[in-house]
Amino acid sequence: MGSLRDNLKSLQDKGDTAVISFIMAALPDENLCLDCIRALEQGGCDVLELGVPFTDPLADGEVIERFHHRGTEQGLNLSKCLDFAGKVAKVSTMPLVLFCYYNPIYKMGWDKFVAEASSLGIQGLIVPDVPLDEMELLQCDAIEPIPMVAPSSSDERMQKAAEQDPSFIYCVSVRGVTGVRGELPEQEIREYLGRVRSFSTAPLALGFGISRPEQVKIFRGSANAVVVGSHLARTIEEYSSRPHLLPGELEKIIRGLKQAGLS
Amino acid sequence: MNPDNRGYYGRYGGRFVPETLIPAVEGIEKAYRELQADPAFHEEFSYYMQNYVGRESPLYYARRLSNELGGARIYLKREDLNHTGSHKINNTIGQALLARRMGKKRLIAETGAGQHGVATATAAAVLGMACTVYMGAKDVERQRLNVFRMKMLGAEVCEVKKGSETLKDATNEAFRDFIASFEYSHMCIGSVVGPHPYPMIVRDFQSIIGKELREQFQALEGRLPDIILACVGGGSNSMGVFYPFLEDEVDLIGIEAGGKSDLPGEHCITLSQGTDGVLHGAFSRLLQDEHGQILDTHSISAGLDYPGVGPEHASLRESKRVRYVSVNDEEALSAFLRLSQIEGIIPALESAHAVAYAMKIAPGLHPDTALVVNLSGRGDKDVEQVAQLLESGR
Repeated sequence: MGSLRDNLKSLQDKGDTAVISFIMAALPDENLCLDCIRALEQGGCDVLELGVPFTDPLADGEVIERFHHRGTEQGLNLSKCLDFAGKVAKVSTMPLVLFCYYNPIYKMGWDKFVAEASSLGIQGLIVPDVPLDEMELLQCDAIEPIPMVAPSSSDERMQKAAEQDPSFIYCVSVRGVTGVRGELPEQEIREYLGRVRSFSTAPLALGFGISRPEQVKIFRGSANAVVVGSHLARTIEEYSSRPHLLPGELEKIIRGLKQAGLS
Repeated sequence: MNPDNRGYYGRYGGRFVPETLIPAVEGIEKAYRELQADPAFHEEFSYYMQNYVGRESPLYYARRLSNELGGARIYLKREDLNHTGSHKINNTIGQALLARRMGKKRLIAETGAGQHGVATATAAAVLGMACTVYMGAKDVERQRLNVFRMKMLGAEVCEVKKGSETLKDATNEAFRDFIASFEYSHMCIGSVVGPHPYPMIVRDFQSIIGKELREQFQALEGRLPDIILACVGGGSNSMGVFYPFLEDEVDLIGIEAGGKSDLPGEHCITLSQGTDGVLHGAFSRLLQDEHGQILDTHSISAGLDYPGVGPEHASLRESKRVRYVSVNDEEALSAFLRLSQIEGIIPALESAHAVAYAMKIAPGLHPDTALVVNLSGRGDKDVEQVAQLLESGR
């Protein structure tokens, strides 16, 4: 498995935009999900962000929320998703980041979680309901908590995120929850990324509302990576009656985004 | 107790929200601290409490109920007589004034029984603000009257058909709206839950209940009551009546909704049967499974049907300053009927839980004992549901 930090750093040095794919673990089912993950890698995906379904995902928009609820209805939980991550690590070399709300991690116990997740090769952790002030809850040597910032974040908070010397900073593009958006306010986002950049030399990953190659082109130079999630989730839903065509479609989406971000 | 600067009451509390929302909650905290130090605000708040809400609310000696039960003397703190029919209006007027001070034009609320939704819609109307209320589809069904009331008051009511379709899902949806709109909207949380500073703000506005009770009881009997009872869902009416008595030798008892049984999914006994965890912005007690997924809950009363509870309650439980017990659906329903028939007061099903516990313990207590029930709301909204329950029971 590649190193999260080294891979993103070397792409940043080359001037290529990295593609980070968010996909909910083990949905629609384990095998199809593994096929999708292979396809994402084929398409050129650089980092895989694997989501853990939670009953109350208040930072997520409609599409991803449906996946959370579908997952919890199927009985998915953190320990099953960790088992699944182990399977992912066998079929893919992409660095793995886990996306999970705090309560399931707290309930499992931090030490147990870290031991299991790191033994599976999970390198990064995104916890959407743990803001920077509470990030010390997530400190450990084995797994890196990824800081998030938003356009509304103050300079002090951007400084705080930068001080962690993270593998990347997750930059939320707009106010709001996850979801596909037609237009992103280009100038505003560029200025915002410039502001984050003034505090940190780490790769900046732009997420929330990214779905099209043009967007990647527009922000190349200010963002070092893009996170695509709701768009993939929506595609998975669209192909629910034609699952055999789904991996090919996902591969195509990622290839388009990846090519748009090449220097 | 006031929370520390990170919003913790002992081990419980904090601020577990997406980073995007941090500037919003920091802004609310700053504005609230400024308001607290501003005499003009306190004057304005009192003006509305007195002339609009109709405070102070009476402290009524329930003579017939006390006589019939034998034992302790039972007093009712009549929050049911407030404008809009419950204690919720104390908080929504306070928060709407706060929101207006921050330049916000719109209020967002989550509601279970609809009492907080109605109170928020009312505050928005009287202060000239827009209002959106999120309500679970299941609650829309069982509390239709309140849905009409909110609409008549000019609020937009959004029915939430997700998850368990109750208060917790309505709360998720209200948070999502707030995350996208906080520059012009204020989320008016209805209970002592949520990220810091909400539990503190809601408690402060509601503590007008306990402060009045203290003075009223002093005037009546020249001392403090012996026991105070209040129902606990998220915990706002109980926190409001308990808070001014925390330093005194008064027995404070919170009553949770016991629902149908002790089985997971059939009750809301969060403090006594829940475990530590994070939901809706705070570290507190909650009802969850072994994997940290939040459980469905059940209560006859929509306002108590919630798997979480305010962090200060979690802390008061841990320090044993407040005792928490539960009363089941059946007991609450029978207290609902008994109070109606014996005192001519139809209580909200939520408040009926506290009445039921009073009926349980009063006969075993000495007549010198003064017991106060915080009658947090009136039961007009529940009449249709109770009628259906009684018919189906026959």
